[in-house]
Amino acid sequence: MRVLFFAQLKDATGCNAVDLAAASPLNTPQLWTELLQRFPALAAHRPNVRLARNWEYAAPDAIFADNDEVALLPPVSGG
Amino acid sequence: MEIEIQLTDRAIAETILPPGQPGAVGAWLEFRGVVRSEENGRTIRALEYEAYPEMAGREIRRLLQKISARHPCRAAKVIHRVGVIPAGETAIYVGVASPHRGEAIALLAEFMDRLKQDVPIWKRRAIADGARLCAEHQPQRPSNVQAAAAGSATTAALRSLDEARAEIRSRSRPLPAVRASLAEALGRVLRETICAPEDLPPVDRSTRDGYAIHADDASKTFSVVDTIHAADWKPRQLKTGEAVRVATGAALPCKGLRVVMQEHVERDGDKLHVVRRENSTNVRLRSEEVRQGQPLVSAGTKLHAGALAILATVGNVNPLVSPRLRILHFTTGDEIVPPDKTPKPGQIRDSNSILIRGLLQNFPCDVEQGHLPEDFERAKSAISNQQSAIGNADVLLVSGGASVGEKDFTRALLEQLGFGIVFSQINLRPGRPLIFGVNGSRVAFGLPGNPLSHFVCFHFAVATALAGLTGGQPPKFFRGQLAEKLDDKPYPRETLWPARWEWRVGQTFLSASSGDFPVACADNANTGQECPANQQTGMSALHLLAWASSGDITCLAAANALIRVPANCAGLSNGAKVDFLPLAAMIGGGL
Repeated sequence: MRVLFFAQLKDATGCNAVDLAAASPLNTPQLWTELLQRFPALAAHRPNVRLARNWEYAAPDAIFADNDEVALLPPVSGG
Repeated sequence: MEIEIQLTDRAIAETILPPGQPGAVGAWLEFRGVVRSEENGRTIRALEYEAYPEMAGREIRRLLQKISARHPCRAAKVIHRVGVIPAGETAIYVGVASPHRGEAIALLAEFMDRLKQDVPIWKRRAIADGARLCAEHQPQRPSNVQAAAAGSATTAALRSLDEARAEIRSRSRPLPAVRASLAEALGRVLRETICAPEDLPPVDRSTRDGYAIHADDASKTFSVVDTIHAADWKPRQLKTGEAVRVATGAALPCKGLRVVMQEHVERDGDKLHVVRRENSTNVRLRSEEVRQGQPLVSAGTKLHAGALAILATVGNVNPLVSPRLRILHFTTGDEIVPPDKTPKPGQIRDSNSILIRGLLQNFPCDVEQGHLPEDFERAKSAISNQQSAIGNADVLLVSGGASVGEKDFTRALLEQLGFGIVFSQINLRPGRPLIFGVNGSRVAFGLPGNPLSHFVCFHFAVATALAGLTGGQPPKFFRGQLAEKLDDKPYPRETLWPARWEWRVGQTFLSASSGDFPVACADNANTGQECPANQQTGMSALHLLAWASSGDITCLAAANALIRVPANCAGLSNGAKVDFLPLAAMIGGGL
């Protein structure tokens, strides 16, 4: 699955996006485990980050599959 | 409610008109959010905004639809600027039209509150007063994310052909593989590598009708001790002076034999006199062709007749292959009449339906086609009757309605259907207003309405997505030479020029569609190497076809290739090396 980072999360990870190869679909805690392994710096942001799956905010029980586009969204500040 | 959403990196216009006829609505409420010159007590010169464009557009639409259920309004227009926005300039514009002011004010107030909570747009950094707006402060453009803000016609940097192809490739992921019978698997992409389950041939076999004897048996006379037909399996050891009658293809009874052709012996009852011995043993040795475990057909191969014959040989009758694609195609436009009807002035016959159906012939798929009215509300209700077909489709194609005209609505339609728009224009002629959207594993294209644009966009864009979804190889460019010179005015966009590709050996042109296609060319197609220009092996020769606008269709009678002509190219000489895309579907083979 493709995972996108926005705003300050780009600074924290040093990249815009990453391809995660998951053997099977992941639930939210599993996704975070994968991400924190690769990007420990995300830990500090985790409480404020919302997850999106295929351009919609993901429910807490969402399952993230290989074809999904996942995004990590820090608190927004548009307008 | 009519909704229009733009994300742009250009300044937002000073004057924006309400939708519809003047006087159609009683209230047109406008709001502009302006970048302040102070941020956290510091004087700033500009703010840099960043967006997740695919999601921001959808989220804005979702919020407006939700809020308008409580505060019904006629129309809303939202423009959010991203990138570096100087202080004093508009970051967001919202216009709301409604019969009376109360609803518009309520909707606007609530929308702005929700936007600041939910729409994925960020103030990325403040640029202090005194700093120059130099490159370092320009919005950082992550290759394939930020640039997708190209939602509006006003966005500056359009994707190049290569960027668009890479984007389509990366977002068209292979669909889950399925098992299919050999007949069903024709044309699908093999998703597992098929290896030899045993040596081929599995035993030594005779290649002649004759007599098998020990390879080193120098006897002149032999006794015939057995007869082995093609289907027999009779293992036995042969002694010196013993021979076995064997048929062509028969399994030899043991190792280390040779076969003397029946023409080279004299037979007398059970006795045999060898009159001549050849050098050849006339034996096809076990594992001579392939050893057990050796790959026979690789994953990613489009299964053609020959590959299927190999699978049949090794008994693999249910290979793992790409699923049959489900493709839904809509034409749009009120000017379109079916091809069997006579168009009235201003109308044209629909040529795109059969064009798309024909081009899809090369891909195993189920195609459903329909027509949508040009009125957005009517189109929406037509679509809501087909929700299940749309939900089931792997690929959605919408013809027409892709330029930025008043009646064009493909983009809004795709967003309505849940697609995130990845890009809505590319820097290409013809085919500039190409729209590409994704929704999970599903992809959608808005194809510019003209048939030539359709033809071009299908071959470089849709075919790339189909290859991605099936796990196959995307269309590939090759090198060839122009067979005549190209006179063209410099044009600011890259061009895919319709052409006829032929194979030239010396001064002779061999048509690609004729049977006598040389081996050297097939090799070249496999390796992607430059076609050698010497006369023995021949070369790819490309004849330019005349076309003046994307509405031209006559060149499609002969086109079997598209030549890349770089932007701002003032012409190319006869013999110039060019990159071209051979169009397998038009040549009639799976290149």
